[in-house]
Amino acid sequence: MTIDRASGTFFILLGLFVIWERRVLPLGTPGNPGPGYFPLLLAILLILLGGILLVRGGQAVTLRSVQWPEARTAMAILACCAFATLGMETIGYRVTMVLILGFLFGFLERLKIWQVCALTVSLAFGSFWLFDTFLKVPLPRGGFGF
Amino acid sequence: MEATLPNLLLGFSTVFTATNLFYALIGCLIGTMVGVLPGVGPLAGISMLLPTTFGLNPASAIILLAGIYYGAMYGGSTTSILMKIPGEAASVMTCIDGYAMAQKGRAGPALAIAAIGSYAAGTLSVVGLMFLAPPLARFALGFGPPEYFSLLLCGLVVLGYMTGGSVAKNLSMIVLGLLFGMIGIDQMTGYFRFSYGLVALGDGIGIVPVAVGLFGISEILTTAGQTKRPEVIKPRFRDLFPSREELRDSVGPIGRGTILGFLIGIIPGSAHIISTFVAYAVERRISKHPERFGKGAIEGVAGPESANNAASEGALVPLLALGVPTGPIPAVLLAALMVHGINPGPLFIKEQPVIFWGLIASMYVGNLVLLLLNLPLVSIFVNFLRVPYKVLYPTILMFCVVGVYAVNSSLVDVGIMSVMGLLGYVLRKMEFETAPMVLGVVLAPIIEVSFRQSLAMSNGEYSIFVQRPISAVFLAGGLAMILLALKPLLMKKKDWRERLTEAEKSK
Repeated sequence: MTIDRASGTFFILLGLFVIWERRVLPLGTPGNPGPGYFPLLLAILLILLGGILLVRGGQAVTLRSVQWPEARTAMAILACCAFATLGMETIGYRVTMVLILGFLFGFLERLKIWQVCALTVSLAFGSFWLFDTFLKVPLPRGGFGF
Repeated sequence: MEATLPNLLLGFSTVFTATNLFYALIGCLIGTMVGVLPGVGPLAGISMLLPTTFGLNPASAIILLAGIYYGAMYGGSTTSILMKIPGEAASVMTCIDGYAMAQKGRAGPALAIAAIGSYAAGTLSVVGLMFLAPPLARFALGFGPPEYFSLLLCGLVVLGYMTGGSVAKNLSMIVLGLLFGMIGIDQMTGYFRFSYGLVALGDGIGIVPVAVGLFGISEILTTAGQTKRPEVIKPRFRDLFPSREELRDSVGPIGRGTILGFLIGIIPGSAHIISTFVAYAVERRISKHPERFGKGAIEGVAGPESANNAASEGALVPLLALGVPTGPIPAVLLAALMVHGINPGPLFIKEQPVIFWGLIASMYVGNLVLLLLNLPLVSIFVNFLRVPYKVLYPTILMFCVVGVYAVNSSLVDVGIMSVMGLLGYVLRKMEFETAPMVLGVVLAPIIEVSFRQSLAMSNGEYSIFVQRPISAVFLAGGLAMILLALKPLLMKKKDWRERLTEAEKSK
């Protein structure tokens, strides 16, 4: 399986999914197209393009040859993004950033403890001051008001 | 035309306040830093820093953001010349001869010529923008929904062709972007589409989380875990001055790069990248000593650097005159303008002359600021390159999160950014270009509304798109691009797009 054929298959499945999900949206008429009209056209177009990739993708590199050496670190970073999404309004911007930066600097990058503390505190509190206090862009304070 | 001078004076009167000059200066400095740091391109940079402009009046905000934009375009050359790492994609061609010059102890003149070329190209392109945008906007006042739909369709097809790599893959990315743009409340009927009960998705997917996710987060994910510390050549101020011969040899390439860059910049696609490729190829082709290219030819720095700055300002012509972004960076600028209540388009120049002419005047000032400040400060900017990546990427990640959150004070946007980051990471591995997707997201609402309005106007007759002459011309342009894309199927010879892709991959 090549990367182009895998992508083509994905696009065809995605197009079919959009067509299935679109069924609750009225199509309207050609003279008065409804909210489902344009998504349907796009889904059909995506299926066609997926088909082209599937048919013509035989010469592309194989899926197996794609290297993912950084995948573990990447997943840890994505977990940090997910943590920020879920936790920032509950525990506040500063605490969230201290935890995330502490994890990245200390656990993932193995910096010295004083470097971790200095960088984490200065960046988390410094960015809060810059955006929230100085630029008046409100950042979440969390349940404890901090 | 006769109103240009008074309008320009109006623009300068807007810019020549202490506050706006300060923002132009800060924008250029931040932009250069963004451009210098590998991995933080102008797109992610502008997106992350957008919230810092919220407290400013629209004119100051736009001046600051424009400074970041062309500062970043200039800053990319520094890392290309000193480290052979393009600070942003448009600096790929500068790596070749710029780094070769640096290895020969001529880093200073290479940086100086890059700065002078960028200044000359930037300034001349603003003249082009100043004279071209107003008449284009007046012409576009006659556009109805069919013309807009055909223009956008043609633009997207051209983008798919010009981006490089597989056209089918690029078009898939555009369609995927358009589908993402369908999420949220339908503007014409009020239906919630594909939002799965999430009220926060009612307004749709914003350009900022998409751009930061696809370009900022995915870059962090792709480069995560790298420990190699690249060598940085540090030039001294007194070594910056080019010789008389180097200056003489650069005049032609700067002129040609400016014209090529400006014209290519107006076309949708990765214009700033393509323009550098074309400028380099032209200089090499017309040189009496093509064998010097790749070994430290000053023309190989002057041409591409001028072209990329000219292209970045050429891209503002369709953005400001038609309200149509031709690439992901203008798309983010469009979003930034809209955040400040400015809607670029045919009426923008007429209705908000202070902003438009203030922006034009700020570009003259900004280009001069870049030239006067960045050369003396080059050794300071170089120090940013010494920051270890393991310190840099968590900092960039933090700015991505805060930048995206601050736009709407929405954690859903942070979630979208994370998902887009993962998607961008996987797409890069699958050899997809993500820029067309960003443009698809931005243009989705406009293209859908103009399509549906056109059909409503014609009572469902698709022929309306070919019956109206301007619309038919745009459609013919799009069709021509599709036919050009089919050419490699019939001919074995590699076309320029395949050569461009190979050149980018080899860096």
